[in-house]
Amino acid sequence: MKNRSLILLAFAAIFSSCTKPAGYGELCVKIDYSVNGKALVTDSLCYTNAAENTFLITEIQWFLSRIELQDERGDWFRLNHKDVKLPMAHTTDWVFYVDSNLPESQTLEAAPLPVGRYKALRFTFGLNEADNQSGLFSNPPEANMFWPEPLGGGYHYMKLNGKYLDEDGQLVPLNVHLGIGQNEDHSQFYQNYFTVEMPIDFTLTENAKNQLDLTMIVDNWFRNPNLYDFNEWGSAIMQNQAAQQLLKENGNDVFMCKQSIENQDSIAMNNEEENGNPLEMFNNTMQKAAPKPHFWSWDSVKQRLGLFKENCKNRS
Amino acid sequence: MKRIWGILPLLLLCLLSCHPEHEKPYQPKPYELPKPSYFPSLTNIPADNPMTEEGVALGRKLFYDPRLAGRDTKAGITCCASCHHQANSFEFGAPTGTHHAMLPLVNLAWNTTGLGWNGGVNTLEDMVLAAVTSPVEIDADTLQVVRFLQATNDYPPLFEKAFGSRDITFFNIERAIAQFVRSLVSSDSKFDRYLRGEAQLTQDELQGYLLFVTEDGADCFHCHGGGGNALMTTHLFYNNGLDANFNDPEDRSAITGNPNDRGAYKAPTLRNVAVSAPYMHDGRFQTLDEVIDFYSDSVKNSATISPLMHHVMQGGVRLTAQEKSQLKAFLLTLTDETFLNNPNYAAP
Repeated sequence: MKNRSLILLAFAAIFSSCTKPAGYGELCVKIDYSVNGKALVTDSLCYTNAAENTFLITEIQWFLSRIELQDERGDWFRLNHKDVKLPMAHTTDWVFYVDSNLPESQTLEAAPLPVGRYKALRFTFGLNEADNQSGLFSNPPEANMFWPEPLGGGYHYMKLNGKYLDEDGQLVPLNVHLGIGQNEDHSQFYQNYFTVEMPIDFTLTENAKNQLDLTMIVDNWFRNPNLYDFNEWGSAIMQNQAAQQLLKENGNDVFMCKQSIENQDSIAMNNEEENGNPLEMFNNTMQKAAPKPHFWSWDSVKQRLGLFKENCKNRS
Repeated sequence: MKRIWGILPLLLLCLLSCHPEHEKPYQPKPYELPKPSYFPSLTNIPADNPMTEEGVALGRKLFYDPRLAGRDTKAGITCCASCHHQANSFEFGAPTGTHHAMLPLVNLAWNTTGLGWNGGVNTLEDMVLAAVTSPVEIDADTLQVVRFLQATNDYPPLFEKAFGSRDITFFNIERAIAQFVRSLVSSDSKFDRYLRGEAQLTQDELQGYLLFVTEDGADCFHCHGGGGNALMTTHLFYNNGLDANFNDPEDRSAITGNPNDRGAYKAPTLRNVAVSAPYMHDGRFQTLDEVIDFYSDSVKNSATISPLMHHVMQGGVRLTAQEKSQLKAFLLTLTDETFLNNPNYAAP
């Protein structure tokens, strides 16, 4: 019995230390952004969307969670934060915050994964209903993403802030804030997160610094299948489920992934189709979550605040 | 014989570790920062200035002591408390006569983005130095302050307890006062008690909170927090549309060098906002009503206005008289009487 405990302790120590066990490789996911085919330059009024709005982007702050790689046998392996110690049980272990203002947040360092070849990547854009609980994060910058309890609670999936030239040629604020939506009379809440899944051809090796590059093609939020005209939808869409729904559907082809060119000889792009159109090459499949209505009332707000308090208690 | 050789090293160790009473090793007691579970778990406390009971107590004494000016006078600004009044959330509570209003000293252990309206001061320790030497504040000479305090009977033993030496340094004066300021925690407003399930808000206060946290309402929360960020500030910097043209050389752009930060200032915490007038970086508003009127009807567009000020093209968030009243009712729930009257924060 004593021996068994010692073995378990040793096993935990191996996993919780900085060194990775044999047969495992380190992996990071590097996030970047492209707009109109070029790398994002913030606060530069040089972009045009499909609706021909001229716009600039000041910042993009967002969550992605439950990132998983699928090996050749079909098993999925979840990426947790590199510094996560066993036992891995807390939601924040698999939720990643990315902020264009914070360079360090652009590289997601994951705990070691088994070496081998992986054929698919999937992740949740934002947080799913189970993960998206108020009080999950107490520290900034994540805490600054909170989504108010009366609007459904939890966190913004994304804040994309910038400005655009309106029909009168004036530069006006642009806020694309995604999260839990509501219908027009505030009687229902809608979960607007979605799952992005894409094929990849990626080999994780034991001794290399393995890297995947995940790009958000920002202009695709406003293109396909729904034309998203800033003059029509403007800003302040947190309480506008129609706008949220359009963007959720447009999330279909916003992301692309490739194995880092810096560390590997060959680039593996996802879903290489014969037509070679880069926008269509990445045929992400989106598993839309069925909207789950909640009755909006002060009782439901109080209930969510109760949950929030409960989370706080658990955290302390 | 073998046994003696075994015991001898232990005896030697005992002898070496025995100190006479007056040579007790310096062992200050770590200070436990009181905080509710919904506050950030991470604090911003410099590694070279951990909080201790002795350090906080010394800092409190210095904070309130006119001898901090290093001169034999009680006239004018002589210590931190000359301007930082507990009843006003440790700010002045009135126009200061300088071009920038004061910011309250509250929950700064969780501040991560620099101090002052433009975030240009990195630490509270640096802030102490700036305040003591500024010609418009205490206007003292640090060497003189050290000599003055060193010559007192009461301070050298307190510095010894806090920092292990009776020799006073200005570095340790900075550290002590910074420790005291970090100990100033506000977490018992009515809104806190509501979050903890200990109090209920009135219908007007709840409606005010709904306005506070909705984009279709007053949309305060993106910069000033709420239930998910009970510090009631992001500690970040925004151009909130006060002006269309900018001539203040000390706005956020002075620190970042980024022209997009023209007219941007730190979003102050709204804790105790009712007792911390005047408002805005230049103290232009004297009452909460004026502030609410501004955000409702007088926001000005400019090239650098924060994208979060999305109501700017309508001149503001356009609240009705009733909504203004409800928003104010919620803001009043952020007053923390426990903090404002906490005897541990008062003059010793």
